[in-house]
Amino acid sequence: MKILVVDKNKCTGCHQCELWCGTEIASVSKELYQAIREEPHPIPRVYVEGKDFALQCRHCEEAPCIEACPNGTMRRDPETGLVYVNEPTCIACWMCVMVCPFGIINPSASMKVAIKCDRCRHMGYPICAEVCPTQAIKLEERKDYRTKAF
Amino acid sequence: MEFIQKKTIDRAVEFFLPKAAEGELSLVWDRYEGQLPECGFCETGLSCRDCLQGPCISHPFRDSSKQGVCGKDKNILAAQSLLRLVLKGTMVYLDQLNDFAYGIESKGVKPKNKEKTDQILKAIQSLIHHGGDQLKKEFPKSLMRRWEEAGIAPEGIARDLFKASQNLEGGMGGVEETLLWSFKASLLGGLAKRLYGNLKKSVFGDFIPTRVEVSLGVLKEDAPNLLIYGYVSPILKRKIAEEAKKKGAHVAGVCTDPLIPPFCFPQVTNYGSQEIPIMTGAVDLIVVGNEWVNPSLTRIAKEWEVPILLSEGLKRGKDPNQWARQIVEKAKKSFDFRRNIARDIPEPTEVAVMGFSREQVDPKKVMAALNKGQVNGIVILSGSNNVKYTQDHELLTMAQEFLKNDLLCISNGQASVALAKYGLLNPAQREKHCNKIFSEILSSLGKDIPSILDFGSGDTVDFLFEIAKAGKKEMRSLPMVAVFPEAHRSSEVTEAMWTVAMGISTYFWPALPVTGSQQTMEALTTFCFEKFGSKLNITTDKKIDARTKASLVLKALKGEEGFGLSGKPWK
Repeated sequence: MKILVVDKNKCTGCHQCELWCGTEIASVSKELYQAIREEPHPIPRVYVEGKDFALQCRHCEEAPCIEACPNGTMRRDPETGLVYVNEPTCIACWMCVMVCPFGIINPSASMKVAIKCDRCRHMGYPICAEVCPTQAIKLEERKDYRTKAF
Repeated sequence: MEFIQKKTIDRAVEFFLPKAAEGELSLVWDRYEGQLPECGFCETGLSCRDCLQGPCISHPFRDSSKQGVCGKDKNILAAQSLLRLVLKGTMVYLDQLNDFAYGIESKGVKPKNKEKTDQILKAIQSLIHHGGDQLKKEFPKSLMRRWEEAGIAPEGIARDLFKASQNLEGGMGGVEETLLWSFKASLLGGLAKRLYGNLKKSVFGDFIPTRVEVSLGVLKEDAPNLLIYGYVSPILKRKIAEEAKKKGAHVAGVCTDPLIPPFCFPQVTNYGSQEIPIMTGAVDLIVVGNEWVNPSLTRIAKEWEVPILLSEGLKRGKDPNQWARQIVEKAKKSFDFRRNIARDIPEPTEVAVMGFSREQVDPKKVMAALNKGQVNGIVILSGSNNVKYTQDHELLTMAQEFLKNDLLCISNGQASVALAKYGLLNPAQREKHCNKIFSEILSSLGKDIPSILDFGSGDTVDFLFEIAKAGKKEMRSLPMVAVFPEAHRSSEVTEAMWTVAMGISTYFWPALPVTGSQQTMEALTTFCFEKFGSKLNITTDKKIDARTKASLVLKALKGEEGFGLSGKPWK
């Protein structure tokens, strides 16, 4: 399974990933000039933690959000292994928001759904990795640290 | 991020693009693709790097990071982004004026009209310290009063520019105050351009419409080709032309003023394709100024073994006569040295008549034609090229649309060169671009009139004032607009700002870095309309084509009722 790997040493905290994720994924117009003026504001699925770390969903192998979700809204795509929110069934209980160890799930008060990164599963390539000027965000195969014997 | 578009509509330029690709030579379009996506915060004016606590941004999508470290919010950030551009652009006009005045004062040239030249030199001194009292009298009183009411009447370069620049250092100035400082700074640029034009007339003699050859075909196969790139002191340019004539060298220009009486400099190409002439192999020496010149020329010139001489610099030649001699000598030597390099010059050239002024086109006749409804309005086409658009496409398509709708089109600077490449400045091709009736009306305005009139330095505004005077109206009540279809430089932003301050609504593409703030965008339309009776229109829709843009302008000129100044409906 491929995941987004962030290199802390390369991240300059320029927020471009947030800006383009907000425009390309979260906005209705998909155009920066118009997205800026949209109400409610588009919510980017990635955010820059502190000064130099772009953080988005890690798509945990044992995902607490899936465990916590009371009605199966939080799901895993069986083909790709990516965790996503099935928005029509979300009841906005925010259990996933509470249990996420990385704090990357956004409760959207206006839309009453949990919003999180699905690693652009319907796009060819994740937008944050594509726009990152220093290539701090990369799409790589997940390294399996655990051996089979373990 | 892949970005595909047609690079240019100029066939001569297009011919060289596959060659560049074969030689793995990166041109402006390749470098632009390498830059994508460009910084969204800078593009929308939501960033600031005026101090070392930053750089700061105002995040459009997050509740945090809405203000910079010092507390600048998105509105101020956007307004200041514009001010920063305007200040830089104003410096361009002031530098050109100062450079020219310095050349005259150091006796580099003998002025044709000594008395008038001295008067203008005095006016420049007055502009530096007091805002040019004499100059202010040349503007219509009503316009001057409006500027004084808004607080933007020039008070002197020293005071205005220093104060305006301090707005970027801090303070509590709001959006409107910051915008007014931008207008104030831009007016100085406008005055400087006007003075530069007057000075040029008094030193070299009055402008007369001149036939200028345009396109890559102007390069000579069997003579040394000396190319002048960008702004180079007119005095040095004239000396080079004199010297080249004696020594049998051929001088042409790129992004440079084509007319320095009695000489005219054929225009090889315009801004967007300035790298292409070198690729013909027929360029033997390049003299460059700073403005308009892309640093990429160095690498391409090295590839074709073309020496580059800088006209500006700390160690520049002080004596223009000697300097010009050296330049031409070097061009000849380079021609001999480069004999074994193949020359591939596209043949066709286009003729353009450039350098009209109010003496050749009667403003009264224009006003009469406006009143009769023979001319539906006046459009000023300005700006140069922007790699974000197919080179010349927006400008040409919009010009054609305007001509179809019987609008009198005036162009200047690089816009003229771009339009000249397609024959719009050639009187012989007038009937091809305009309908028969409109073509006859144009020909009745003066002698040898092309579809689009190119006005010399600073003369556009004078001409428009004369039209307003002839109609006993204010500029803001006349059907006039200025259009910048492919702008890219800060001096073009300055030009757009002073055009708005003079009461002419302006359309500017691409969007200025103010789109991040709704308040600043609105201020440029509603607030400007209250103050000057004109708007600076910025479109945020990136996906509209040139025809739609032209229809926006036409709609604004027509007014909601769909009637022109004459009261007669448009056909």
